Amino acid sequence: MNPRLHIDYNHLKPLTCSQTVPLRYNSAVIASLKTNPFSLVETEVSTLCDKIKQKFVSEKDELKDIADYYFDGKGKFFRPMVALLMAKAVNFHNTSEDSIWSSQEEIAMIAEIIHTASLIHDDVIDGSNTRRGKPTVDSVWGQKKAILAGDYLLSVSSVALARLGNTEVVEVLSQVIEDLVRGEFMQLGSKENENDRFNHYLKKTFKKTASLLANSCKAVSILGSSTEDISELAFEYGKNVGIAFQLIDDLLDFTSCEEVMGKPTAADLQLGLATAPVLFAAQDYPELNPMIMRRFNEEGDIERARKLVAKSDGVTQTRMLAEEHSKEAIRQIRTLKQSIPRDSLEQLAVLLLQRQK
Amino acid sequence: MNLTRIFRSLYFMRDHNFLLKSHHIASYSKRFPRKCFGIWSSKKVTEWNKAVSDAEKLVGYPTSLMGLRCFLSDEISNVAIQMRKLVGSKHPLLQTARGLIYNDSHTLQTRGLIVLLVCKAAGQPSGSDQDIDNSQRALAEITEMIYTACLIHKGVVNMSDLDLVDEVLEGMSSGNKMATLTGDFLLANACTELARLENTQVVENISCAIGNSMEAEFTKIKNCKTDVTFDDWLDQTYLTSGSLLAHSCQSALLLVGHKESYQTAAFNLGKNLAITRQLYEDINKFTQPETDDISPQILSTAPGVLYLGNRSSDFSEELLEDPKEQKKILKKIKESGELQQCKDLCKQYGIKARQSLHVFEHSVPRDALFRIINATTVS
Repeated sequence: MNPRLHIDYNHLKPLTCSQTVPLRYNSAVIASLKTNPFSLVETEVSTLCDKIKQKFVSEKDELKDIADYYFDGKGKFFRPMVALLMAKAVNFHNTSEDSIWSSQEEIAMIAEIIHTASLIHDDVIDGSNTRRGKPTVDSVWGQKKAILAGDYLLSVSSVALARLGNTEVVEVLSQVIEDLVRGEFMQLGSKENENDRFNHYLKKTFKKTASLLANSCKAVSILGSSTEDISELAFEYGKNVGIAFQLIDDLLDFTSCEEVMGKPTAADLQLGLATAPVLFAAQDYPELNPMIMRRFNEEGDIERARKLVAKSDGVTQTRMLAEEHSKEAIRQIRTLKQSIPRDSLEQLAVLLLQRQK
Repeated sequence: MNLTRIFRSLYFMRDHNFLLKSHHIASYSKRFPRKCFGIWSSKKVTEWNKAVSDAEKLVGYPTSLMGLRCFLSDEISNVAIQMRKLVGSKHPLLQTARGLIYNDSHTLQTRGLIVLLVCKAAGQPSGSDQDIDNSQRALAEITEMIYTACLIHKGVVNMSDLDLVDEVLEGMSSGNKMATLTGDFLLANACTELARLENTQVVENISCAIGNSMEAEFTKIKNCKTDVTFDDWLDQTYLTSGSLLAHSCQSALLLVGHKESYQTAAFNLGKNLAITRQLYEDINKFTQPETDDISPQILSTAPGVLYLGNRSSDFSEELLEDPKEQKKILKKIKESGELQQCKDLCKQYGIKARQSLHVFEHSVPRDALFRIINATTVS
């Protein structure tokens, strides 16, 4: 009567099982962490793409093609990697063992699926034509199928989430979905008052970017049977890393050239969005305020705004704010027992400030 | 929360001129014909409306008001205001919104009602005097939210299909934006509400139904006209409406811990009722006089699928694209044995739906369900 209703309990078994001796890595691995904090979870990440695609069980070929489209192995997999590292760090803190539970790996996959679903919808809303160097889903299959396929991805992630059988984790990740939408709504509106405007921007940034990282870190922590304090710090780490990540993203939109980013620069201004560099610049150049309010929709607004941002210290201040969040992330994570995954999370928080794309 | 603002916007949409400022988009409306709701014979409409309104009294409050809470959020009220700008664009979002507000009881918003009736017919295993648990009411509401979200998302328009002037294109593009956001908002709310029920099996069932509803737009029937069978039609109907209704009815009983035989019965009721209803609507497209105004969708109806399936070699895909040919086929179907076959099928699925209710003891809510089934079965 309902063939899709079967429960697979395999994911509740441990995935990589424990060496009892705490975290011995050879010096080459440790050296590589300095430039690539994710090298610890490379094995898990390398199989993630295929495991995600296995979740798309629809018999409808076209829908499956769309679902698979962005899982071509070219994504950065930033979110799953953070979740996996966090899983290793909290598991070591809790058990002194080096392990990732398969339920935690599921969270990493779910996070990436939710992220991808939101990208597909965002591209329809923003009218973008390319993403990750290829045409967006809606420019290949049209807007209607793009939206429905995005919803399908969401339903797949919810099914996977439900199968973990943990009601708290379901609540934590459902919150992400709500935050993503509310963030998108916040992006449509702007505040008259300048102070409100910055708060509005930060809140939007949390909802649109950081909530997914924060809550997936929290979820892996809960699944690792952590205390509430530990889950809370995992959340705070993810939140601060997420905000720092987005601040750098917003800053690169002004400083980097098109080739490096793989998307047109000043894209935010073109969408009418005032991000941190502009909001900081407006403190020195109040003539930016009316442009912000009209969403840069008059002739020459975008060029003038770019020039004013370049003249101001908006970019520097944005970087400083990102540094603050990065430091806070590190402060939070240091509550955990020292371990190589914990060091990697610290290193990650530092390195994301230096990224060029 | 600015209630008056929202209502003003909503009432604005009821304005008679709401959809009539469309002189420059005639070509568009042909491509996306207005869904025809006038297909019910007046006797049956009365029977259905009475069955629904009597049933609503049983479950405590009009289910048609369920979705209203969502309209009271800031986000949706913003959308409602934005919708004014859409007037003249003929974006399907407007029609969906209009349908929700007019709230024709014989078309939409009965899913939640059926879920609640099933809850009441099954009673509470704990023997509690509260005949419908709050979690069940929440689920009925979630079901409506999901259904509405799907309806809204299915109204997103492909921009490349349009050959319109820039001004109208812009309207369509912002219509898409709003449709995307509104649907996302409803789905996201449904997700968090579902999570609050604290039952992961229910979350899984309903999520699965959401996925099915999306799959419904990628089926064989949606992609080609020839070479489709009645099984494809059944697949289409299950994915479009059967899955959500079946999973919701089943999950509502699961929530309060009913035994499996009850859950299965509820699932089967939902599934078979959805099929009966769709058969009934499809048949009516051929028995009403005004159906000479045909749309290409007529070929994807149950009688259409059966008719073409038995004569697959006679029709090429191109032939079926031709409106003149469609008109001819429509006429032939009206007199065909396949139409009669569909009437028989409608009766059979109606019987299946009734039979699934036999596990429940005799009660007023069970009778109400019988009446709803009867009102959508060919007599």
